[in-house]
Amino acid sequence: MIDLEAIETRILHGGRLDAGEALELYRIAPTYWLGRMADAVRARKHPDGLVTYIIDRNVNYTNVCVARCNFCAFYREVGHRDGYVLGFEEIFRKIEETRALGGVQLLLQGGHNPDLPLQWYEDLFRAIKQKFPDFKLHALSPPEVIHISRTSTLSPPEVIRRLVDAGLDSIPGGGAEILVDRVRKLLNCCNKATADEWLGVMRHAHQAGLRTTATMMYGTVETDEERLEHMLRLRALQDETGGFTAFITWSFQPDHTELGAAHGISEASGIEYLRTLAIARLVLDNFDNLQASWVTQGGKLGQLSLAFGANDMGSVMIEENVVRAAGASYCMDEVEIVRNVEDAGFVAKRRNMHYDVLGDPFFREHDVARMLELSTAREAGDTSVPAELMHYPARSAAGKKQRARPPASPMA
Amino acid sequence: MNINLAIAERARAGQLLTAAELDELWASDVLSLGMLAEEVRRTRFGSDVTYTRVVETGNPSGAVGTGVELRIGALPASLDEAAGVVVAARRLAGTQLLTGFSLADIIDRHWADLNEVLRRLQRAGLNAIAEAPVDRIADIAALKAAHDAGVPVRCLSLQRPVDGTRTGYVMTVRSLVQALPSLQTVAPLPREQSVAVPTTGYDDVKSVALARLGLPMVKNIQVDWTQYGPKLAQVALTFGANDLDRVSTIDDESLGRRRTAIEDVRRNIAAAGFIPVESIPS
Repeated sequence: MIDLEAIETRILHGGRLDAGEALELYRIAPTYWLGRMADAVRARKHPDGLVTYIIDRNVNYTNVCVARCNFCAFYREVGHRDGYVLGFEEIFRKIEETRALGGVQLLLQGGHNPDLPLQWYEDLFRAIKQKFPDFKLHALSPPEVIHISRTSTLSPPEVIRRLVDAGLDSIPGGGAEILVDRVRKLLNCCNKATADEWLGVMRHAHQAGLRTTATMMYGTVETDEERLEHMLRLRALQDETGGFTAFITWSFQPDHTELGAAHGISEASGIEYLRTLAIARLVLDNFDNLQASWVTQGGKLGQLSLAFGANDMGSVMIEENVVRAAGASYCMDEVEIVRNVEDAGFVAKRRNMHYDVLGDPFFREHDVARMLELSTAREAGDTSVPAELMHYPARSAAGKKQRARPPASPMA
Repeated sequence: MNINLAIAERARAGQLLTAAELDELWASDVLSLGMLAEEVRRTRFGSDVTYTRVVETGNPSGAVGTGVELRIGALPASLDEAAGVVVAARRLAGTQLLTGFSLADIIDRHWADLNEVLRRLQRAGLNAIAEAPVDRIADIAALKAAHDAGVPVRCLSLQRPVDGTRTGYVMTVRSLVQALPSLQTVAPLPREQSVAVPTTGYDDVKSVALARLGLPMVKNIQVDWTQYGPKLAQVALTFGANDLDRVSTIDDESLGRRRTAIEDVRRNIAAAGFIPVESIPS
């Protein structure tokens, strides 16, 4: 039986948990004990009582994807009538809207679309940087980097170098799911990136001077041991590179997914989320920042996360498509995030991706309309194809056929 | 534990905390308050969590099976219509428990003498008044009238959100329960929520904890499963709640047995470390 008093003393003095201890705590420690310990570590790392958030927009540039992860309700197969690619002008408009709300970056992620070559990404990034030089691009999770590496036949480090040259500022930690290949095979996501490949991209990015985040999606087919293995692999890479700025965990959202339908998997509970967050704060002792995932857990659990180790409310998001497709549709605008932070007794500050504090809440100094619902990538039924897409070679048969057609006239 | 130890001891002993003590508890950190409320609840009332399956009239997909409460929501414009709705609902309910309405809504209608109105509803087939929101009606005479008419109030609720400490609410509820001890269910979370400014997670769980600690004579601290959702409702169980209201009767197994409403609520209760017990309305 684990000695909680001894562990408590060690944690409070900055000591490290080993794998066995972490697993036993996760399984049997009282939830309040985990919360108190996680809160103590948060307070030690952030003694100023600040809770940060970022104003950015979560844009999914395409939903066309060949990965076919069975936990995803967002993707559409190549050639599907609901498949889309956003045009450069659409993305520029989203950036302008984001800047009007005080936004400083795009979180830009999308499907593994075989008909978007590296050049498309480079052109997009350069165009964004030309129009909005100080706007940051937090873009392309490791599996997307690997996908581009495969379609371009360039190595991941070379892809990262080219993307950085074009304007990439940092890499989001999406696509990690659980960094154990047994699990990844069952989720049909091992082909998009093995655990080693995901970690390898992050290692390359850190060595290239980029900062990245790390994520974990739990609640599918993994065991408790595998959740801890995931965290320990992140901790080891962080020891090596120090390149992760933050860790974000969320529960699998089962609605409309193949996995949810086939296996009847329910979403993990609220208490499981708080326990997972708390154990992550204790295991990931070399991560400074833990985000609350209000977009999957709701604002109320999002706020309670601040008592279980989180020190950051994530992003205002403005737009969300992926978890909405799987049944979660929560919204918190800046006003609501700040109200929740202050109600919990903390001081709310805006930040950038590097977790540098940018200032006080934007809405207190600017006239900003309330946002009670997140936007989507496109209006329902919008099947338009961006004109510039015709300039890039497609790889799929459906893509080649589409691009052989002349662009539709707006009057047609 | 970051909490006044003397107050905590009095709460553990089941003593009546003063308003000042409740204010001090409200100002404690959320985890300490929750720990104390959970400890008191387990010590005094055990580890059971009851839940009630409810079919609301006007919901055609609900099935009125054994052990289910049929509940009428909106109050019609006239007493005759209200009695008619009750008669129709009674046919649907058979021998199952039929509840309905808010006592505050009934009083606000000013149809006739309250005792007569309540007796008319009882004769039409109503078994109980679903709730009395004490921020709208804290008149013990009205609660006793319902009791005497054979339609006792099932739950002391809260209509609208409250700013700041919930001490005032707890003290009001306490005075009502002391006058009418058969009132044994309190729902401290508001029925109404602002879309733009909803109550926060801290607000909600602290409200539950304060109700548990300030009302030692009340057995059931209730959370509405449908309104507050599985995540908040489950966490509230660890802050002193022990009763879940309005669990759906719709057992759609199309997504698998594990995802039916009944399995979902039982799974959440067990995962919080409690024993799920279906409350059979009577």
